[in-house]
Amino acid sequence: MAQTAPDSKQGASPSMSLDEARVLPSGEREFMLDVRTQDMELNMGPQHPATHGVMRILLRVDGEIVTGAQPHLGYLHRCAEKIGENVEWLQYLPYTDRYDYLSSMNNNLGYSMAVEALMTGLEIPRRAQMLRIICAELNRIGSHLIAYGTYGLDIGAFTPFFYAFREREWMMALFEKICGARLTYSYIRIGGVFNDAPPGWLGEVERFCDVFEQKWVEYYDLLMENHIFVKRTADVGVISREMALDFGLTGPMLRGSGVDWDLRRDMPYSLYGEIWKDGAFKIPVARGEKGSLGDCWDRTWVRVMEMMESIKIVRWCLAHIEPGPIIGDVPKVLRVPTGEAYVGIENPRGELGHYVVSDGGKVAIRVRVRGPSFVNVAVTEALMTGTLLSDAVAIVGSTDVVIGETDR
Amino acid sequence: MDFQAIHDRLRVLRAPGLLGSDEPRPADPKDKHSKGRAGDPFLLVDAQKLVDFLVVCRDDARLSFEILADLSATDPSKDAADLWINVNLLSVRHKHRLAIKCTLAKQQARMPSSVRAYRAAQWAERECGEMFGIEFTGHPDPRNILLPDDWIGAPLRKDYEFPKEYHGISCV
Repeated sequence: MAQTAPDSKQGASPSMSLDEARVLPSGEREFMLDVRTQDMELNMGPQHPATHGVMRILLRVDGEIVTGAQPHLGYLHRCAEKIGENVEWLQYLPYTDRYDYLSSMNNNLGYSMAVEALMTGLEIPRRAQMLRIICAELNRIGSHLIAYGTYGLDIGAFTPFFYAFREREWMMALFEKICGARLTYSYIRIGGVFNDAPPGWLGEVERFCDVFEQKWVEYYDLLMENHIFVKRTADVGVISREMALDFGLTGPMLRGSGVDWDLRRDMPYSLYGEIWKDGAFKIPVARGEKGSLGDCWDRTWVRVMEMMESIKIVRWCLAHIEPGPIIGDVPKVLRVPTGEAYVGIENPRGELGHYVVSDGGKVAIRVRVRGPSFVNVAVTEALMTGTLLSDAVAIVGSTDVVIGETDR
Repeated sequence: MDFQAIHDRLRVLRAPGLLGSDEPRPADPKDKHSKGRAGDPFLLVDAQKLVDFLVVCRDDARLSFEILADLSATDPSKDAADLWINVNLLSVRHKHRLAIKCTLAKQQARMPSSVRAYRAAQWAERECGEMFGIEFTGHPDPRNILLPDDWIGAPLRKDYEFPKEYHGISCV
């Protein structure tokens, strides 16, 4: 209140009666004045649970109102692009696991496809394509489970987190069986995949799909229809269609603003074109059901719906997979032909782009990574200004940022 | 639209700064030194007019590149006189992409900022600027983004020398 903050710019004067204070000439209501005191700078992070890693957001707050936000990145910068220019083409693959560590399979796929774009004449066997898609989609489910669980955690719903991690644990056990690692897989290699599915693995994936489909209904009811969750996220952090395009947002952030765009359908790669033509999956696009189009609820809804679509894609692959070779003809010491290529794939967080330049040698000239988190988190700067402090947490959480990728 | 149609359309529009195009080609069997080139076709654009070029790409109804997918740079080699500026545009409406390349002299690495065309360029240029030592004139917020504010040198240039220490922390 004004009494406790003498240097306050705006504040109800102590002598003002309740009736006078209710509506001000500026149109502001009294309760908004109550939460204004004085300008204060507040560090959210680098160790804040809602930033999902080491990101610092310097907030300028006037009481409960955020008047300015400035994200500071770089705490997790590991020079991935510089390393790409210093190690051989095949040796760089494990580093791709480490930028978005929640969707390593997709990162492997993006890098492998960028290198394959330069290697004309390299055939990827069909079974390898199938295994790639199964793993990438399972990884998408795992990544969205984390997004869903931790977003609930950020804004005070503790239970969904445990449910989400239960299924994710099974997914990681599946990955452990096929490639030996639980988080950093390096499974998808240039030319194919490195290991065939062990006996019984595909059957277990099918069982996972069966169980997950039932559990998913629980997830949806538990968080998405939860009254408190809807109150906290609907009409909060609204990104208009124009703003989303201007900021270059992709993935669930873009579809959450009502733009019908998915690289898997619109610029199909691998076998996605065939799967789409078969009508096996749909692209969920937000409609602003609970509030305005493009709010935090819509973005979360897109992620939750996408999990089911991924299950359908996995099922299509399980129905069509046949025995065969799993890797194309790739030499041990890889010399990539001269050229440059940009390949973007649909990562759980948006378009993961790899721009690679080769001069025909064993080492890349340039490996540029366009991380979707880096682009998506830029919008928070504009979104947070003017919101309440508790909404700022909801906004950061809804971008589903992975700091490993913003900083690379 | 395919690459050729986009190029023709931009020529019809007299897009500012359009210099030419470069397409992938197989190696010339008569010339032993020719290696050919694989990958994507791209347009060559004058770096100083890039922002005006991007505005044309964004506003023309038949091109309608709404999204700046990527903006970064490449240092092709230690001896090269120029840096490359690599831009990738994406059209949601027409489902096509366009790769653009500009060259920028290393000695005088300065070009106008593209933030006027796309706000997505803001963070991309901050990263590109600090990593390659490029000055984007007219950028609203030209601070470092991934590197500390007092970092010396441009790490992604090929002639970059790794520091021996940073604030008393040994880097060797």
